[in-house]
Amino acid sequence: MNFTITRQNLHKGLAAVSASIPTKTTLPVLSNILFEATSEGVRMSGTDLDVGVRIQVPADVSLEGSLTAPGKKLQEIARELPDEPVRITTQGDQIELRCGRSHFKLNGLPSEDFPTLPAVSFESGWQATGETLLSLIHHTSFAVSTEESRPILNGVLWELSDGQMRMVATNGHRLAKMTVPAASSSHTTVQFIVPPAALQQVQRLFGKEEEVVVGQEGNHLGFRSGGTEVYTRLIEGSYPNYDQVIPRDNDKWAVVDRKTLESAVRRMAVVASDQTHRIRMSLAKEQMQLNVLTPDLGEGHDEIEVQFEGDDLEIGFNAAYLLEILRYMDTEEVRLGFKAPERAATIEPVSGEGEESGIEYLCLVMPLRLLD
Amino acid sequence: MTEARRAVPPGTPGAEEATEGPTRRILLVDCDMFFVQVARLEDPAGVGKIPLLVVGGTPDGRGVITSASYEVRGYGVHSGMPTARALRLCPEATVVPVPREACSLRSRAVRDALERLSPIVEPASIDEFYLDLTGTERMFGSETFEETAHRIRERVLAETEISVSLGGGTRKMIAKLAAGRAKPAGVRIVPPGDESDFVRDFDLEDLPGVGPVFLSALREKELRRVEDVLAVEEEWLVRWFGRTRARWLRDRARGLDPTLVQSGTARKSVSSERTFRRDLDDRTELETILLEQVLTVGRTLRQRGLRARTVTVKSRSPDFRTRTASRTLPEAIESDSVLYTVARQLLKELLGRGTPRLRLLGVSASSLADDGAGGQLPLFDHPLVETERDRTLSQLMDVVRERFGGDALLPGRVVESTRHPKDADGEM
Repeated sequence: MNFTITRQNLHKGLAAVSASIPTKTTLPVLSNILFEATSEGVRMSGTDLDVGVRIQVPADVSLEGSLTAPGKKLQEIARELPDEPVRITTQGDQIELRCGRSHFKLNGLPSEDFPTLPAVSFESGWQATGETLLSLIHHTSFAVSTEESRPILNGVLWELSDGQMRMVATNGHRLAKMTVPAASSSHTTVQFIVPPAALQQVQRLFGKEEEVVVGQEGNHLGFRSGGTEVYTRLIEGSYPNYDQVIPRDNDKWAVVDRKTLESAVRRMAVVASDQTHRIRMSLAKEQMQLNVLTPDLGEGHDEIEVQFEGDDLEIGFNAAYLLEILRYMDTEEVRLGFKAPERAATIEPVSGEGEESGIEYLCLVMPLRLLD
Repeated sequence: MTEARRAVPPGTPGAEEATEGPTRRILLVDCDMFFVQVARLEDPAGVGKIPLLVVGGTPDGRGVITSASYEVRGYGVHSGMPTARALRLCPEATVVPVPREACSLRSRAVRDALERLSPIVEPASIDEFYLDLTGTERMFGSETFEETAHRIRERVLAETEISVSLGGGTRKMIAKLAAGRAKPAGVRIVPPGDESDFVRDFDLEDLPGVGPVFLSALREKELRRVEDVLAVEEEWLVRWFGRTRARWLRDRARGLDPTLVQSGTARKSVSSERTFRRDLDDRTELETILLEQVLTVGRTLRQRGLRARTVTVKSRSPDFRTRTASRTLPEAIESDSVLYTVARQLLKELLGRGTPRLRLLGVSASSLADDGAGGQLPLFDHPLVETERDRTLSQLMDVVRERFGGDALLPGRVVESTRHPKDADGEM
């Protein structure tokens, strides 16, 4: 293998790929990046076996070939190199870099040792704009579960159907769901459960203005735009019926300034229990009261103005869940819907007049039982 | 580092610890062969007259020794040893079961007596209690620490009929090691300043906190005695055992132990385990036993108003390999049904990992919180998510058992197994 590449392209490729390299691994080759030089340029790949990233960058290849070399070290070197063309060659299992008067030799491993990334066909795939995809990921993936007891909830549910695309995530206590209009396609409805680590790579590597093609092959999904590809293993199993838990009969509605609510909840959270983060929300005409009473610590009280319709209500929440959801609401005001103290509450953005975009965003949060 | 701390010469106890405050006066009160004493007190005319006595296990040799009389210990028998082996060493010994209820009552009595004698009492196990008498010097006038210890010994004996041994020093570890030297029925106090010399005389396996895994790592490096550790440069210890363990070991070898005596230490786990009379490999039978254990654990949790987030299942195969599997749930639970669902999955994992033949099975619930701590309602029904219905059902079953007896209401498979007992009880 022998090629010359600009320092910028080398750095761009390494930066894209090295974030997919595991920090700790029992398989040494996974700490490496796979270089494949062909007449079309150089491909770099990295993977932790769950998620893989591949990027193609322009380079002047004089001898085709492949090798794997330590990812983090190469990235650190590329960062420090002068702004001059970099010549990369291999000698046996060693990779050699020359740039200006700098010269490095690093020990690599044969490319055959590197795991093969899934062969996903993008021809029969789906298309989405980067903007749509990034917005879906941003607004939902925070809600995935990090607990091991229910692996299915460790992924984001992604539903693609004719004219619609939806992502849902939940940890069993709170849920985020976003639906956006999508180009109509001939595909039937499909559901994937995608690990959030893969979606993070998508967020990191694809821009809003890019067209992303998505392809599936067996239990793997691939995302591609330009020369960049992200691959992931899908989580297997059936996702809980989220639609069934979305309340349809909420009859108490509060519209409140998002920032005001957020800061009041944050103040109350200071005094709430470290374990439960329990706060009490009392709603009556034009007023929301927030109260905290934590044994051995103390209490807190706050009031904010709201537009409230319905019977008075007292309900308990985990303040951390409320704050998290409010952070992802993009509008000035939010609407909270309730039925009863043991039933799911809804939180949704309140968009201004004429702002209909066809985007539906809804979060659910289950209450905490109040102790009397 | 403050001036006060710098004034402490390196190498003496306290050099690495928070030394502010008075010199501690810590005692470990250890009941002499507790289970043997209780068994004898319960049956003074029978068991009380047998010198070669072993408590725990069965006469046919199943189970393990909970306690052995000093006469039997002379044959090399010690607690934790399989009863069969003990009987090979001392064939004339008489084996009696553990008088469980009496042991709890006597232990409670000893604790009550100690609480009248010391401001801080920390139960370390059913038969060991740490006392912190710091600050009581003036209360007892001219009495020395050693005299105080003797007085406590006599009072406990007079009030509870239980003979205890006491070890004393400025650290919990010193008190514990000294109590070992005080036995039987004695007192051993290590004066302040003598800790380092005192500890030097022990084997590393005697140090509290050195378990079998660490011990074999130590032995690999030819470290057997405390003085062996003192002879090694700290840098080597760090290289061999990592910084945290190296520092811990070096501190202990110098008689340092920063842990304090804490009264009323909250309960950390609730468990139930059993050694079988014969090894079992029938999955259904094991699951039934697991269910019975879950019923015990669940009931204890609810009686104490506790919920648990972590469930652990422990198994021991005939070759004495102990395996555990545990799961921590997002929400604390108390109902038998969810406890059993989790425990059953864990048992399946354990049986998949090791041999399907077991001599012991146990279940424990930990990461305990009081039942008001939870209360997060779930979005979805799921076997691992406890519902109000699960809790109510378990609580109602408690009520029925309370009124009509422990066997009044049981799951069908447990009733079946009690009707046709196959292995019956072994050891806790």
